Amino acid sequence: MGERFYVSAPPHIKSRYDARYIMHQVVIALIPPTVAGIIFFGGRAILILLISVASSVLWQRLILYIKGERKPLDGSEIVTGLLLGLNLSPLVPWWIPVVGTFVAIVLAKELFGGLGFNIFNPALIARAFLLVSWPMEMTTWMFPYGATQATSLTQATPLTLLKLQHTYTPYINLFLGNRGGCIGETSVLALLIGAGYLFYKGVIDWKIPVPYISTVGILALIFRQDPLFHIMAGGLILGAFFMATDYTTTPITKSGRIIFGIGCGIITILVRLFGGYPEGVSFSILFMNAMTPLLDRWTIPKPFGYKISGRSV
Amino acid sequence: MKRLLRPLVNGIIRENPILILMIGLCPTLAVSSAAINGIYMGLAATFVLAGSNLLVSLIRKWVPDQIRIPIFITIIATFVTIVDMVMHAYAPDMYNILGIFIPLIVVNCIILGRAEAFAYHNGVIESLGDGIGMGLGFTLILIVLGGIRELLGNGTLFGFQIMPSSYKPVIIMILPPGAFLTIGFLQAIQRYRGGKS
Amino acid sequence: MLTHFLLLFIGALLVNNILLIRFIALCSFFGVSNSMSTSIGMGMAVTFVMVLASSVSWILWHFILVPLHLEFLEISAFILTIAALVQFVELFLKKNSPSLYRAMGIYLPLITTNCAILAVAFINVSNHYNFIESIIYSIGVSGGYTLAIVMFAGIRERIASAPVPKAFQGYPIAFITASLMSLAFLGFKGLFGL
Repeated sequence: MGERFYVSAPPHIKSRYDARYIMHQVVIALIPPTVAGIIFFGGRAILILLISVASSVLWQRLILYIKGERKPLDGSEIVTGLLLGLNLSPLVPWWIPVVGTFVAIVLAKELFGGLGFNIFNPALIARAFLLVSWPMEMTTWMFPYGATQATSLTQATPLTLLKLQHTYTPYINLFLGNRGGCIGETSVLALLIGAGYLFYKGVIDWKIPVPYISTVGILALIFRQDPLFHIMAGGLILGAFFMATDYTTTPITKSGRIIFGIGCGIITILVRLFGGYPEGVSFSILFMNAMTPLLDRWTIPKPFGYKISGRSV
Repeated sequence: MKRLLRPLVNGIIRENPILILMIGLCPTLAVSSAAINGIYMGLAATFVLAGSNLLVSLIRKWVPDQIRIPIFITIIATFVTIVDMVMHAYAPDMYNILGIFIPLIVVNCIILGRAEAFAYHNGVIESLGDGIGMGLGFTLILIVLGGIRELLGNGTLFGFQIMPSSYKPVIIMILPPGAFLTIGFLQAIQRYRGGKS
Repeated sequence: MLTHFLLLFIGALLVNNILLIRFIALCSFFGVSNSMSTSIGMGMAVTFVMVLASSVSWILWHFILVPLHLEFLEISAFILTIAALVQFVELFLKKNSPSLYRAMGIYLPLITTNCAILAVAFINVSNHYNFIESIIYSIGVSGGYTLAIVMFAGIRERIASAPVPKAFQGYPIAFITASLMSLAFLGFKGLFGL
């Protein structure tokens, strides 16, 4: 009798492009930055990434068990764990990614209803939470290959070097990744390879990353800063291609996405140049995440000939 | 005595202003970054609440309906001014910490709300009980909130170091997001245990 | 001069956002924000009353209370001014602009107890703002209020149809949302040295 009613978990229309497939592609796209991070930061990076992914999966399983849901895992927690790990300094204590993934999975995602219902990007919420709660631990950097410098470690990223010491890092270092920073953000080259893969597979489109990055570049020019530096420094490439393109937390409409990208760009530059923090990518994306419901509302395309009598929307 | 106690206990538990009635939020979040702040703020509010409830109930038969709100406000403002001056004189450090939230007790929804909803329609003893009860309920939540935030965000409780020295305080708890978070979870716990929504 | 005003405005709007960072006016924030239309209406009403009340209370303070050494009446005088102002505005709107009254009139009685209006009146005095600064500050604060409440309403409408765990439905998840919004706003800390 049980075989008559095959009750399975959705999706029931099988398509190539389901959540699992997309998560798969994102993980593949993240391989180049992961490898780059490990090359530059060594065993420490492997440790943090492993803890991050493992604890992410554990929290996800635990929360699903508590909720009593029997969903098959769709790989989103692996992506969250990996993205969070890549957004951390290699020198953070082991418990940072554990707490961070808890915040990401439980606080930012499951409490809101799970995958597809979260308003804010879970990995970024975790990163902001961690940064605000443990500023010292979260801003202790190392230079690649374990090299140390005479300057204190907390100043070892291109953006902090700029903000506090007015020192520019050479382009080639920024591009290849020979610089301090989070595990995944340092190698622009590796990130671009990963992003290229996602474009090729059709997982992301240009409407958010391109406006985002261009806005940063243009505003940098207007404020008489080096646009190429600002595009390559910090977490912009990582953020623009991998975090600001998250389906759930960004607008659906075309113009909404473009506005989203521009908004992120504006806030990123403002915080970088005039704000208290050296980097503004995380906060800008989170702020625009909060604006997303409004953006979706205000950019709904009007059907042809549609007019609300006498009043404009 | 019972006429006093019943509304008093009600204000603390069944109709707790913060968790159940959802009023009086502004000062709750702002001052609850440390447990001791909660005590001072709570007692200040309780004093105003009890006093205004008492007075409103006393004169309720002679207050015309149309101008009752301005009259309530005047009464409340008077008590708040008293509390403001007393605290400024006798507890200046706490006065500076609580800052703008002491005068803001005037627009604390709890006080005007109880004057309107209870004291205007009930006897003097009951109103006094309600005022004290609501005030104590408010104070209780402030202390709990303050305690949680201070413990997690600073490792201390009432200024005493509780957490071991290896504990790295979760700084976000004493910042605004932590405040919202703590209340959200307290409310969820309340709801889970079957509190009235 | 212009930059000073701009900084004052941005500080009030974003860096020290009245709702998400300074915790003022929260009752209305949670009470009214479950729908977009009420939030917009409330935002409009708050802006209107706040700017008006700031100006009037500033004048009251500087030309009456201080010269007559009646500073201790600050609390009573301000709150009664606001209450009276709200009554006048309501009557005025009802008679002269029924459409505007319909748009925001119902929120006016609620505004009397809106902590933000009173708070701004106090802050204008304690920060020794001149008249222009008070106006700019109140526009900034009410702008920040409106921004936060409208953003919040947008999110709450989206959450309303989500499978939130039962214990968190309603206010708890709203508070969690406010917490995360507040976290996002923390990014503005230190902007322009504010």
